[in-house]
Amino acid sequence: MSKKLKRSILFWLVLSPIVVVILFPYAVMTISSLKSATEVLNPTWWPSELRWQNFPEMWRTSGIAEALANSLYVSALSTVLTILVSIPAAYALSRYQFVGRDAFRQFLLVSQMLSPIVLVIGLFRLVAGAGMIDSLNVLVIIYTAFNIAFCVWMLQSYFSTIPRDLEEAAWMEGASRWRTLVAVFLPLAVPAMVVTAIFTFINAWNEFVIALTMLRTEGTYTLPIRVFSLVAGRYTVDWHYVMAAAFVASVPVAILFAWLQRYLVRGLSIGAVK
Amino acid sequence: MQRATAPYILILPSFLLAAAIILWPLKEIVSLSLHDVNRFGMIRDFIGLEHFRVLFADPDFIAATWRTLVWTAAVVLGTLIVSVPIALILNEDFYGRGIARILIMLPWAISLTMTAIVWRWALNGESGMLNSALRGLGIIDTNIQWLAEASTAFPMQILIGILVSVPFTVTIFLGGLSSVPDDLYEAAATEGAGSWDQFRLITLPLLRPFINIAFVLNTIYVFNSFPIIWATTQGGPANSTDILVTYLYKVGFRIGRLGEAAAVSLIMFAILLIFTIIYVRLAMREAKA
Repeated sequence: MSKKLKRSILFWLVLSPIVVVILFPYAVMTISSLKSATEVLNPTWWPSELRWQNFPEMWRTSGIAEALANSLYVSALSTVLTILVSIPAAYALSRYQFVGRDAFRQFLLVSQMLSPIVLVIGLFRLVAGAGMIDSLNVLVIIYTAFNIAFCVWMLQSYFSTIPRDLEEAAWMEGASRWRTLVAVFLPLAVPAMVVTAIFTFINAWNEFVIALTMLRTEGTYTLPIRVFSLVAGRYTVDWHYVMAAAFVASVPVAILFAWLQRYLVRGLSIGAVK
Repeated sequence: MQRATAPYILILPSFLLAAAIILWPLKEIVSLSLHDVNRFGMIRDFIGLEHFRVLFADPDFIAATWRTLVWTAAVVLGTLIVSVPIALILNEDFYGRGIARILIMLPWAISLTMTAIVWRWALNGESGMLNSALRGLGIIDTNIQWLAEASTAFPMQILIGILVSVPFTVTIFLGGLSSVPDDLYEAAATEGAGSWDQFRLITLPLLRPFINIAFVLNTIYVFNSFPIIWATTQGGPANSTDILVTYLYKVGFRIGRLGEAAAVSLIMFAILLIFTIIYVRLAMREAKA
C-alpha cells in the first residue's frame, strides 16, 4: 500500500465524524422531502416510496415561486449595486494617496463589525417613517450598504496586486485615465469582481433578520422568510413540504458554491490577510 | 486640482450609502434609548438612563446576557478547537481532498435559516431522525424532547453554531498554512524534530496571527447570530434559550418596548466596539510584523 493511500485512509477516518455531523441535517432534509405526509412523521431512513410529486405540490401550495423570484431580484440587484459602488472606492484606495484614506478604511472596518441586528430597531423606524415597509428595493439598499465594507476591502487588496506598470504604459501611449481604467485595469480585475459578487449574492440570498423585519405581507417574502413562515407559529406543519422548500432554496446556491469554492477560498485568504 | 478631488468623488457613493444606512439608524437608536417611547414609536419625554435601569432590573435581560457570553465562548472556542485539525488535514495532499473540502465548506453555502429549520425537524421528539439514529446506534433507549427544555436545546444550538462556523474558520487557517514555507519543516526534520514538535514549534506559532483573527471575527459573528436560535426555539421555552439578539427582537417587535430595545442595541454596540478595537489592534500588529 502506498504511503499516500495509507495517509488518505487515516485522514478520512479522522474527518468522518465531522463530515457525518455536517451532512446529517441535509440528509434528513433530502429524505424527508421525498416522504408522504404520513410517513414523514415516522423517522425511518428510507421512505417506502419516493414521492417526487411533493416538489410540484409544494411549488403550487407554498408560494415558493414568488419567494424565489423575490430572492433572485433582491440578491441580483444588491450584487450589481454593491459592485458598482465598491469598484471606484477600492480603486481610489489602491491607486491614490489622499487625506482621509486611513479614516475611510477604519470607517469601513467599523461598518463591517456592525451587524444589521444591532441596528434593526433604528432601520425599522427609518423605513417605517418613510412608509416603505414591504419594499424589496429598501432591502436592496440595506444589503448593499452592509456589503460595501467587505467588497471594498476585498477588491482593494486584489487591485493592489495588479502592477501599475501596465496602466502607466497605457498612459504613455496617450490613453486617458478613464480609458486605461476601462480597457486595461478592469479586465485584469475580473476574477476579484467575480469572487466579491458571489459573496454578496450569497449573503443577500441567505439574509434573515432584516427581511423578517421589513417584509410584512406574504407577496414580498424572500426565500428564508417564506420557508420560516411555513414552520413558525403554525399548529400543523407539513414537514415534507417544508423540507422540499428548504431543498429548493439551498441546493442551487450549494452547487454554485461547490463549483466556485476553490476561488472563494483563495480570494478570501488574500483579502483576509493583506 | 482634478487629481486632488478624484479619490473623494470615487469613494463618495460608497461612503454616503454606508453612512446613511449605519449612522442614521444609530442616531435614532440613541435618541430612542434616552426618551420615553410609546408602543407606536412616538417619542415623548427625555428620561435619561431610565431604560437602562429597567433593563438591568430585568432578570430575563441579565440571564440573556450571561447566556450570550456562554453561547459566544462555547461556539467560538469549540469552532477553533475543531477547525485547527481539519485545516491541518485539508492542507495535506491526500485522495479525495477536493471532495473533503467541499463537504466541510457546505454549511457556509446554505442559509443559516434553512440549516436551523432542518435541525428543528431533525431534533423533533417523536418524528425526529436524530432520536431514531441515536436509538439505532444504541446510545439512547427513549426519545429525548431536544427542544422542549433549555438543558438539551441550548447545547444542541451551540453544536449547530459550531458546525456553521467551521467553514469560515478553516478557510482562514488554510490561508495561514499556505504561507508556512516547506523548508522550515525539512530543516526541523533534519534536526530530529518529531511531528508533534514540528506542530508545536513551527505550525502553531506561525498560525497564531490567523487564530487571533479567526477568534475575533468569529466572536463578532457568533455574538450577533440570530437565525439559529430564532428558527429552532425562538428563545423559548419561557425565554430559557434567549441570547441578547433574540431578547432584543422580542422586546422591540413582540412586546413593542422600543426604548428598552434601543438600550439593548446600544449595550451590544458597546460590546462590539470593544471587539472591534481588539481586532484593529491585532490586524495592525500583523500588518507591522
